[in-house]
Amino acid sequence: MHLDHDHIGSHDHDHEHAHTHEHTHDGVTHTHEHTHSHTHEHDHPHDHDHLHAEGAEHTHSHGCGGECGTCGEACAHTPMEELTALMKYMVGHNAAHARELAELAVQLDKAGNHTAYEQVMAAVSDFEKGNMRLSVVLQSLQ
Amino acid sequence: MCLSTVYKNTMSPETVVMKNVMRIQCKDGCVILTDLMERSVAVEGELLEANLVDGFVILRENIPA
Repeated sequence: MHLDHDHIGSHDHDHEHAHTHEHTHDGVTHTHEHTHSHTHEHDHPHDHDHLHAEGAEHTHSHGCGGECGTCGEACAHTPMEELTALMKYMVGHNAAHARELAELAVQLDKAGNHTAYEQVMAAVSDFEKGNMRLSVVLQSLQ
Repeated sequence: MCLSTVYKNTMSPETVVMKNVMRIQCKDGCVILTDLMERSVAVEGELLEANLVDGFVILRENIPA
């Protein structure tokens, strides 16, 4: 297992450096800045292939060791950041499921089962109420 | 549609490669996983099974000779 990074240039020396990472999550961009003091084989600007949520693969240049998994700080997010991201995903995901259920209900209605349509739409309404409650929690986290 | 947990070779807590995986790409003999926080991991191997209902994926890792 390895990280998907392309490295350019390699040699060994001690170093200390600071750099920033800019990440975009679901349309929200933020920057991490941190300092390293350690030894590894190289530490010069190099290219990373990153795959972003938008589906675009492109390259970043920055000066970390290149392997985020081996650098405790490089791409770390706090547990709260991760939980918030997961909550944001879930709220959006639930909304998508609610829409799918509503479409399913319409299909049931077209198929002649109006009672099932009404019951599913009532369930969709309950589902949306629950998701609204989650979105309020999400707002408090952001 | 849903986030998945990706396992290596077999499905067990010890073989979890990545959780909350939102994208899987196969490229140059590697399976590249990206999670919700946009962390990427590449495993040399291939996709063995993707269960999109239960939200899990199993990879077969190629062991270099």
